[in-house]
Amino acid sequence: MRIRNVVQLHTVNRLQAFGWPLIIMMMSLTIVLIIGALVTGVGGDQAREGMNYGMQWNGAIFALLGPLIGFGFTAMGQYFPLALGLGLTRREFAAGTALVFAGNAAFYAVIVTIGKVIEVATGGFGLSVRFFDVFYTGIGEWWQTLIQTFLLILMVMLVGAAITTAFHRWGQSFLWFFWIALAIVVLAISAGLLLSEAFLAFSQDVAAMGWFPWMGVVAAFAVVGAAVWLALVRRAQAR
Amino acid sequence: MTAIVTTALSKRYPEVHALDGVSIRLEENRIHGLLGRNGAGKTTLMQLLTGQVFATSGEMQVLGGSPVENVDVLSQTVFIQESQKYPDTFRAVDVLRIAAGAYPHWDQAYADRLVAQYRLPVKRLVKKLSRGQLSAIGIVIGLAARAPLTFFDEPYLGLDAVARQMFFDDLLADYTEHPRTIVLSTHHIDEVANLLEHVVILDQGKVLLEADTDDLHDAAMSVSGRAQAVDAFLAGREVLERKALGTLATATFTPRDGDELAAREAGLELAPVSLQALFVHLTTANAASAAAADPDRAHDRAIV
Repeated sequence: MRIRNVVQLHTVNRLQAFGWPLIIMMMSLTIVLIIGALVTGVGGDQAREGMNYGMQWNGAIFALLGPLIGFGFTAMGQYFPLALGLGLTRREFAAGTALVFAGNAAFYAVIVTIGKVIEVATGGFGLSVRFFDVFYTGIGEWWQTLIQTFLLILMVMLVGAAITTAFHRWGQSFLWFFWIALAIVVLAISAGLLLSEAFLAFSQDVAAMGWFPWMGVVAAFAVVGAAVWLALVRRAQAR
Repeated sequence: MTAIVTTALSKRYPEVHALDGVSIRLEENRIHGLLGRNGAGKTTLMQLLTGQVFATSGEMQVLGGSPVENVDVLSQTVFIQESQKYPDTFRAVDVLRIAAGAYPHWDQAYADRLVAQYRLPVKRLVKKLSRGQLSAIGIVIGLAARAPLTFFDEPYLGLDAVARQMFFDDLLADYTEHPRTIVLSTHHIDEVANLLEHVVILDQGKVLLEADTDDLHDAAMSVSGRAQAVDAFLAGREVLERKALGTLATATFTPRDGDELAAREAGLELAPVSLQALFVHLTTANAASAAAADPDRAHDRAIV
């Protein structure tokens, strides 16, 4: 198995693989710090407290997570054809890419966790801002952030790879099917929330089911994404 | 030893029968030409032989085994295709680094020499390279990989005449020093005619001709002179092509013993036919016979 070659394929351009996501993250953090400084300077303690509460849902961390979501798509869309072109087998590509997914998820989960620990220890970098300690990466203990961020990144990369592989296999018709199916699900949930008291109560129960069950849901999506991706990649052909 | 054997190999896509019952045998350590018009099935055949796509039916043996998901076969195979896609963020140097790790016989010093020779800007993003520079990446990989089985699919698109000649010279020089099996798909038939030892001509997904180039020298001749004399000379024989201009005519035909003497006595001139001319004659004649056999299909093609 030439897994090393596949890993090299994904990481040969270090600046693209690791440099830019971290640079973009630092730029996003800088903007958050500037906002924090402005709010604290102008609004005082009350504004600081409100900002700290509101920033639990601050999506600035997606400056880092966003490119990683895209990585799952490009792995199949751009790297797979080159891997086949270089004589690597589908099995080798899948094994090496899965390893890179896991490695990426672990690397950036550690980065986010370290950032969160520093952020919490310094009172939001002295400005009460939240960048790492947010809803999407976990507002609980540091180990929860580590696990949650790891699972989240791994899940989006695997699901992204599965979607791209399905597109590779069935073309535009798959995308039509996917988006229509997604729209129907969203519409059904929205209608349920608006029209059914029982469904609303059930949804609230689901939303409040706690951190561990939610991590189970994220892990389940990751497993389904991985299963679909691995099943399809074995029969994927060059286009 | 035989490098490649295919038996009744077919590949069907929803809208097209790309390959239809292809049976060929390519001996190892030779340069094989894979010739055919656009859409003849050349790239599909090479994609099948490198495990990039799956056959609909038929069998194939590459270096003694099936190429599909076969590490032993694929690690000894390099396939340079003109339509190769590269990740948007890649520079030429990234592609070459990966290739260096992927091919066990990779010669880095030779690769560096080729990069300089083809003036390849290795630090530039691949998506910003010209068509010719993209071809140069493929040429560097294809040659420096020194893979026992090397496929080149139109490797010089966009290259100027000087660079093309450079590629042919490099290919021949390196092949002489490091013999290996090379399959070269090309439209520039006359430019590579002297390199090829064996050719396979594909047309509409089928093998039109498979032969050693030495044998092809005698496969067709052209005769020219007065039209009446030419027609008399060719009476009752298979004529691949005939052109007339006033009272003069030129025709391409399949020769047989004694033609030289008969032509001289009739005051006609005989000349060998180039590989490219033979290719044109064969594919044109095949298209004509296909049209005659299936007028509806020919009509459809004409409309397209």
